[in-house]
Amino acid sequence: MTLMDWFWILMLTPLITGFIAWRIKTPSCAWVQAAGAALTLMAGLALAFQVLSQSALTFWDGFIYIDALGAFNIGLVVFVGFTASLYSIGYMNYELAEGIINERQLGQFYLLFHLFIFSMVAVSVVNSVGLMWVGIELTTIVSALLVGLYKRETALEAAWKYLIMGSVGISFALIGIIFIYLSGVNLLGENPAALNWTVLQHVSEDLNPRWILTAFVFVLVGFGTKAGLAPMHFWLPDAHSQAPSPVSAVLSGVMLNTALYGVLRIYAIANSTLHGQAAQYLIFFGILSIAITVPFILVQHDLKRMLAYSSVEHIGIITLGVGIGGPLGLYGALLHMFNHSMAKSMMFLAAGNINQKYHSKQIERISGVLKSLPITGVIFLVGTFAIAGAPPFNIFISEFTIMMAGFKAGHIAVTVLFISLVVLIFAGMVQYVIKMAFGQAPARMVSGEINVCSTIALFLPLVLVLSCGLYVHPFLSEVIYKVSAILQGVH
Amino acid sequence: MALLIGLGLLISTIMLFQIRKISDSCGILAMQAVLLSLTACVMWFKTGISHLLVAAIFTLLVKAILIPAILYYTIWKIDIKREVERFTTHYISLLIALVLAAAGYYIASNLNLPSAKFGETYLPVSVIMIFLGTFIMIDHKKAIMQGVGLITIENGIFLVAEAIAYGMPLVVEFGIFFDVLVSVIVIGILLFRIHSTFDSLNTEKMQNLKG
Repeated sequence: MTLMDWFWILMLTPLITGFIAWRIKTPSCAWVQAAGAALTLMAGLALAFQVLSQSALTFWDGFIYIDALGAFNIGLVVFVGFTASLYSIGYMNYELAEGIINERQLGQFYLLFHLFIFSMVAVSVVNSVGLMWVGIELTTIVSALLVGLYKRETALEAAWKYLIMGSVGISFALIGIIFIYLSGVNLLGENPAALNWTVLQHVSEDLNPRWILTAFVFVLVGFGTKAGLAPMHFWLPDAHSQAPSPVSAVLSGVMLNTALYGVLRIYAIANSTLHGQAAQYLIFFGILSIAITVPFILVQHDLKRMLAYSSVEHIGIITLGVGIGGPLGLYGALLHMFNHSMAKSMMFLAAGNINQKYHSKQIERISGVLKSLPITGVIFLVGTFAIAGAPPFNIFISEFTIMMAGFKAGHIAVTVLFISLVVLIFAGMVQYVIKMAFGQAPARMVSGEINVCSTIALFLPLVLVLSCGLYVHPFLSEVIYKVSAILQGVH
Repeated sequence: MALLIGLGLLISTIMLFQIRKISDSCGILAMQAVLLSLTACVMWFKTGISHLLVAAIFTLLVKAILIPAILYYTIWKIDIKREVERFTTHYISLLIALVLAAAGYYIASNLNLPSAKFGETYLPVSVIMIFLGTFIMIDHKKAIMQGVGLITIENGIFLVAEAIAYGMPLVVEFGIFFDVLVSVIVIGILLFRIHSTFDSLNTEKMQNLKG
């Protein structure tokens, strides 16, 4: 298999799988789509591995460009996508059996789910930042329908809010991209390649700093809305809590990353044009996002909303890490991106199992999860400590790295604030989860998992959460160094 | 010529504040799109950059025909009470719109935004369109008008791109057309579902999610 073959498989499989599952509609389409997701996973990892172990891939006259950053994102998308797809077999068939959705909705779900994966992969492979914008807008449109899949009042409210806020936010990013094109055109003449990231990266130091600063602020606000940065995060808790659980996992685990990927691409250019002046904006939005979630996590009644606010927090931490910068800050931020994807998708999937068992997302109504769901319960408990940043789990390592980087770079006040906020959030989350995990299960509830697929899927991210907590694998380390070299603007 | 078209765009945007029935907005959006396509045509005539012509044709096709048609179909199919409902009264919202237009003009002329040689006239208009589109989204109670506001913002951004850089590269332009079209379709689908679930399109009823 050549690289080109893998590329075609990666791009076409989600589309074909989605359409086939849509046509089949019966519960058996779950297996077909899982097979498709497995093929996507294989192609994505093969391509990412090739790019990461050799060099950036470019073809069709520079139309497609996959470097380490793109490959990193593709790897995360296909992995979380596969996990969620495996999980959906159990989860969605249970919803079907319970009569919450009908077969038509099941078909629609798999079609949209795979289109969603496709759109996120597409964002990571195109060279033109204009097309990257098109891809990110596409993720909003597709996932808004997924959020509104259950035709409940609350789900539709969340989907509408998400679609409108996401689209308006992203329009701002488009204004930013027009400004980038303008500065590119001024330098290179009327040339479609003036929007290509490779070209812009190459000439970044000669671009007009005033326009690039304007562009960066617009893009940060625009894609930041999609990534869930405060104060543009209002759609996020609604959408994450109302979507079906596998979708919440993908939204939180990789879609936020994909939006952040857009910010990072522009940041890499802007920071080199502005000689490091762009970083302060990232630090500001990062710390604001962490701070704003504290009251919402401390006083929360809905399990999935709590996890959603925790996503705002973690996106804030990643942004802060990139803003602090330097090899250490970037290393921490990118490692955190990886860790958060794994831990948060696992948490949302576990929350989905709990939701189905208790028929409720209300924290007050859930107790004794360890007894009623022996496997999910343990994973949920482990995941909480991981996501809250307790050692010896993976997120502790990346948060610690970012703290070290903060002190080293002289951002003492920000780092101290960061540490105290994280401690507060830790207390809030653990307090609720302890209440849910221990205690008495409802009297008539039968102990046991709901089904095999939705339990097995939890183990995929769990392995990485546990193993990366003990040590960061050298290959992952090397990948992160390569990605951070791109963000630092090393040609 | 450019002045005339710019004025026409401005008037069409202000007219969105004058409508009494929601379905009127479809016609106004179509007119706005025809004017937009005309700006691209005029610029193509003056500069000879061929992709401007392609953009003009696609604007006509997508924004002047398809999108208003989809919106009209949605309104017709839902058969909602057709009157517009605002948070403010008719005159106050018109007044705010005019103030915003003045502010937009003032800001656009003071920002020293870079503009292309033939695009100077359109820059303030595009900023005003973005402002007023945002205001439409906030002011109206019916969810569908948020879609109308969004399309107005998109039209404004299209004009910004033309005014300062003679439009985006063609592939990107196609991508944007595609996205706008698909998002209007999805807006239509969601509006159907919202209407059948809430039995209303009033955004005041959609405030159950908090905290």
